[in-house]
Amino acid sequence: MAGKHVVFALLLTLGGLVVQSSLFGESRIDPFGAAPNIVLLLVLICAAYLEPEPALLVAFTTGLLADLLGGSVIGLWALSLVVVAYVTLRVRRRIDDGVIVVAAGVLALSVLGQALFAIAGTLFGQQVFADPGWYRQIVLPSLYNVVMAVVLIPIVSRIMGGRQVRRMV
Amino acid sequence: MEPLRRFDRSTSLFIGLLIVSFLVATIDVRSQGAGLGDTLRDGTQALFAPLQEAASVVTRPIVGFVDGISNIAGLREENERLRDRVRELEAQVQDVAGLQNRLEELERINNLDPPADLAAITARIFSVGISEFDHIRWIDRGTDDGVVVGHTVIDEDGLVGRVDFATDSRARVRLISDPRNGVGVRDLDTNETGVVEGQGSGPLRLRMFNPEQSVERGHLIVTEGGRYAPGIVVGSVAESASAEAGFSLITDVTAAVDFSRVDFVKVIVGWLPSDFTTPDPLEPPPEPPEPFQGS
Repeated sequence: MAGKHVVFALLLTLGGLVVQSSLFGESRIDPFGAAPNIVLLLVLICAAYLEPEPALLVAFTTGLLADLLGGSVIGLWALSLVVVAYVTLRVRRRIDDGVIVVAAGVLALSVLGQALFAIAGTLFGQQVFADPGWYRQIVLPSLYNVVMAVVLIPIVSRIMGGRQVRRMV
Repeated sequence: MEPLRRFDRSTSLFIGLLIVSFLVATIDVRSQGAGLGDTLRDGTQALFAPLQEAASVVTRPIVGFVDGISNIAGLREENERLRDRVRELEAQVQDVAGLQNRLEELERINNLDPPADLAAITARIFSVGISEFDHIRWIDRGTDDGVVVGHTVIDEDGLVGRVDFATDSRARVRLISDPRNGVGVRDLDTNETGVVEGQGSGPLRLRMFNPEQSVERGHLIVTEGGRYAPGIVVGSVAESASAEAGFSLITDVTAAVDFSRVDFVKVIVGWLPSDFTTPDPLEPPPEPPEPFQGS
């Protein structure tokens, strides 16, 4: 059962990668010059339903693929998504605290993931902060993620079989 | 917070994965994107590109629809006297208009004469970067079509970027807006040279080599040669600037290309950059395809 959920989670995040690179971003859907980071959001949501080790491995694999499909140094998204998944694992009990807590959590974790990528990217020569609009590229996708979470959380929850898996841990 | 003891194994795994990520990133930076990183990118692209191309085709109407919606929003005040029926019809027409724009862009780009009659091939963008921090485009042409790393990429308005990774059938273009990109340029009005650097979502930054010669708003900036084919329009000076004594002259340049609207590009395959190196120094550079036959 758990193996099935890991496969589902991987398929979801891989689908997210394809959608992210073909539907969102510059010259695609990009309201106010930014787009949601669907991949990060899916990793975050999946981490709320998977067991800890698979959740971290799914995040790492997805991040590595994001690095390979994007133009960044390999390992940066892997690092950022692993941290996002780990923090999600530590705070996911708070899901029961209501919609506002979940929304705040999605926002904070999205900002964390994006900011980590920006900082790690700067350490590895990506010059992310050379962009005068860097803060917008961190905050706006995170806000969009909160909106997208309204749609994606119920879908992932249904695919993962509700909260059963999360409660097993 | 969940108790730490529950996460003993996962914390170890977490730390392990962090170390692996740092190691991978370090190796990739040190190998400058070549070696294992190149092979992995090649394989991942081969795996994902068909999916991305299919998704791009499927999602094009959605993108067109959203584009249309934003256009309608911008004209709402002007059109508020129109009846609801007309609005509905406009919404339906947006999809058709989107297709028409793409067709016109393709026609324009096929009529474009590359600088100095250099051979060029048309390519379609099928995928963009994974995040807001990526300033890249994937095009549906690769080494089989004569595209190699270093080739200059343009559209009908001017310079788009440079190929920085290529597989058999696809290539990655790094836009000139990428902060890691620098373009040797010339001010057409003063003939002074300098460098244009990307600033991501911000305007391009121009640094002139001769700080004594001021630059005026509207001056046309073109490529100087070297890493990019010469004579291609990069943009125009956004703000006049003159250097204070002893300091370099820096100002902003508005890119000629609207990167958010580029769908088709031309890769100038008839020109190789100064830093081009063949994989085997004994082998000559790849033969460019037949010269571009634009009307």
